[in-house]
Amino acid sequence: VTISTELVASVEIAHEARTERVPAGPADGPVLRVIPGDVVHVAALLGRDPRLAPAMAFGTLAGGASLVGLVGTHDGRSFVERAELLRDAHPDLIVALAPDRGDVNGMVELAEALRFGCGHQQPPPHILVSADERVRARIAASCPANAIEALPDLRTPAGRQALVARLRALRRRAQGDVVLRDEALEAAARSMSASAGADVALLDVTGGSTSVIHARPDGTVLGIHERLGVGAAADRVVARAGLDRVRRWIPRAVEAPALLERVFNRARWPDAIPASVLALSLEMALAREAIAHALADAERAGVSLDAAWASPLLVLTGRLAQLPRAAQSLLVAIDVFGATGATLVSRSPGDTLVAAGALAARGRAATMPDPDPIAIVAEMWPRRSATVRVTDANGVMEERVVRGSFLLVPTKGAVQIELPRTTVRPSARSLELGVVIDARGRPLSLPPRDAERIPTLARWHAALDVLPAEKR
Amino acid sequence: MPWRYSRWTADHPLSLGAGERAAVGQEVHAGDVLAAGTTYGTPVRVTGARRLGVAPEDLARVMRVPVGGEVERKTVIARTGRRFARAVSSPLAGRVIHQRADGDLFVAPIVGRWAVRSTLDGEVSRSDDACVSVRGSAWALQGVAGYGPNAIGEIALAVDSAAGELQPSRIDVRLRDRILIAGARATAESITRAHACGVAAVVAGAAPAGGLRVVYGDEATASGATTGPDAPTVLCLIGFGMAPLPRDVFAPLAALAGARAAVHTASARLFVFAPESAGDFAQDPPSLALSDDWLGARPIDEQLTLAGVTRFASEIEAEAVATKDGAVPVANVLAFDAPRTPRS
Repeated sequence: VTISTELVASVEIAHEARTERVPAGPADGPVLRVIPGDVVHVAALLGRDPRLAPAMAFGTLAGGASLVGLVGTHDGRSFVERAELLRDAHPDLIVALAPDRGDVNGMVELAEALRFGCGHQQPPPHILVSADERVRARIAASCPANAIEALPDLRTPAGRQALVARLRALRRRAQGDVVLRDEALEAAARSMSASAGADVALLDVTGGSTSVIHARPDGTVLGIHERLGVGAAADRVVARAGLDRVRRWIPRAVEAPALLERVFNRARWPDAIPASVLALSLEMALAREAIAHALADAERAGVSLDAAWASPLLVLTGRLAQLPRAAQSLLVAIDVFGATGATLVSRSPGDTLVAAGALAARGRAATMPDPDPIAIVAEMWPRRSATVRVTDANGVMEERVVRGSFLLVPTKGAVQIELPRTTVRPSARSLELGVVIDARGRPLSLPPRDAERIPTLARWHAALDVLPAEKR
Repeated sequence: MPWRYSRWTADHPLSLGAGERAAVGQEVHAGDVLAAGTTYGTPVRVTGARRLGVAPEDLARVMRVPVGGEVERKTVIARTGRRFARAVSSPLAGRVIHQRADGDLFVAPIVGRWAVRSTLDGEVSRSDDACVSVRGSAWALQGVAGYGPNAIGEIALAVDSAAGELQPSRIDVRLRDRILIAGARATAESITRAHACGVAAVVAGAAPAGGLRVVYGDEATASGATTGPDAPTVLCLIGFGMAPLPRDVFAPLAALAGARAAVHTASARLFVFAPESAGDFAQDPPSLALSDDWLGARPIDEQLTLAGVTRFASEIEAEAVATKDGAVPVANVLAFDAPRTPRS
């Protein structure tokens, strides 16, 4: 296979163990490869400014890396504890952030702990230093075996972009000229937003990663990419969320140990297909928690998601878009992505959007395939009973909505809806399902006891006809 | 091939504080100590080069105890001058663990000791403070996940068939230092009993994931768990839950009973130290099928035939293979030796 970014004939997208080519069939010319990228472990040495830790977390989320260790000049750890933490983390990259001159001595302490802990690590991790020349020189003296590079202030967009570029270069290492999946998705979101003239939020869940991307028509893109997924990283979702948080989304009684068995087996079975309804429910539950944790991590890192919540367009890709029923993709998305207004939810099954995004990421003119519109979701929390008017090819339908309502209004042809207390009239040319009115309130609260939780979930699933009937 | 006789490399990462290490090129046997060291308490920083009036890079020249050396309280670590001597002495008993770039030293008390043993017969190919690697020849079986510390012992069959489950009642102290072959499933109860009886390791087709979390804590993932030396060792060959071993995997294990072996948990491999001519073990890899609800895996003994695109209970339509128990998605069928971690 010829690898080239020039005159690309097809794009090859890597999944867990298989690859898909767009257009399908044997390659007839140069191929551009899209890969998830290597796992990159990053450890950070932080000065006193409390804004450094969130900035570091934001940078690693945006760059799709894993933040495996944070040591601070004032974290109270001893020299040996810091060295052990860094050694166990086995970092591929170290980021030292010391914007204040008063951090010099503390930063040298951390650099010495780094040399003590990771002095024999092969290859020695590069150190990116965001500090003045004096601090950089002191760190270089303490860690002579490590290559030192300067980094702009990570609290600024320029610093973050520099870190993201460095992390992506590391994730591509030894892979030749390739496009990372998250790069491709960001380029696709940017392009879709520009052509729609509206904000676009994109949710991508694969076996090994979860991305939440928000693009504005002016070209600015915010991307959060985490190693949480429904396949190879499924066990990481359980480790992060806890088994009960995954289990609570399954609309039937399931024993926790048996559920964990399924998660572990899926994690070690690349590209496995959920052949049973229960396995499919588990995949949906894992997707919910993966997205929820990506969003929570972003908020913890100080990322404002208000604009993303308010996006009028929500596009679903990856495994999330490949669930057999559109209602399944839709329910997973709206259960955890709490949009603040009416949102047109679409999905792009297959890899065509990723392929077009990869070409766009390489600066090539690429036409974004139109995703399939599933539904307009109107989220509301009315103080008293309110009326939603839906107009489609069959005429006008009115629905009374009270708190807790969750219903689907099937539609045909062009759709427009009128919501109470707003002059915005969301519309679409056609929808696979129709209009979903979601008055469940946010954050969603699920009863803890199975006796109440399962009927609640069953009601939500039945409203959208999410799961097929099981043969017993 | 599930079983392969080859030259393997086993890495043995070291903790901080390695005091002695095997040299590169040294011949070792599985079970031999490759490295030994100490664990440290809270260290004390001692002014070094500045106190002696020497440049930091000259400090090593005047040190009487090198970095890494053990000291008693008030031991002179470094000294300069004759009539007007300047000296640096240790404030506590322990080890000189580190020299800073500015010439200061860290001295830490010793709070414990550790040793790392080889999991291969062979020669040391790398030896530094981070890792000691050993390269050697052995029969090996690749598993999916290893839990606990590395283990060395003799292979002992603890089940009657490849589909058998390890029963706690079959484990007693006579199996001390053995590597037990546990068939389709090793429960948490049998793992903890085996550990209590001094069994070196348990090798099974599968172990219950919940049980592994009970034994190893919530940090145990599908990729394994590394622990201290006081935990049991478990090697899952196929997956989690229940997974009968294929005939081509189990028969050599039965034939190799009594042979010296080792479990290297980081790479999830079972090494067996038997001659290459021990048997005709290197066969084509058997196929494994993940159950529809992902609750376990089973070997497929029959010839695989494609069943075309099939619609499953989940409404997913996918290429399938026909088995005697019904259609299975092609994606859910893997060769025993197929890579089980995704490509990057």
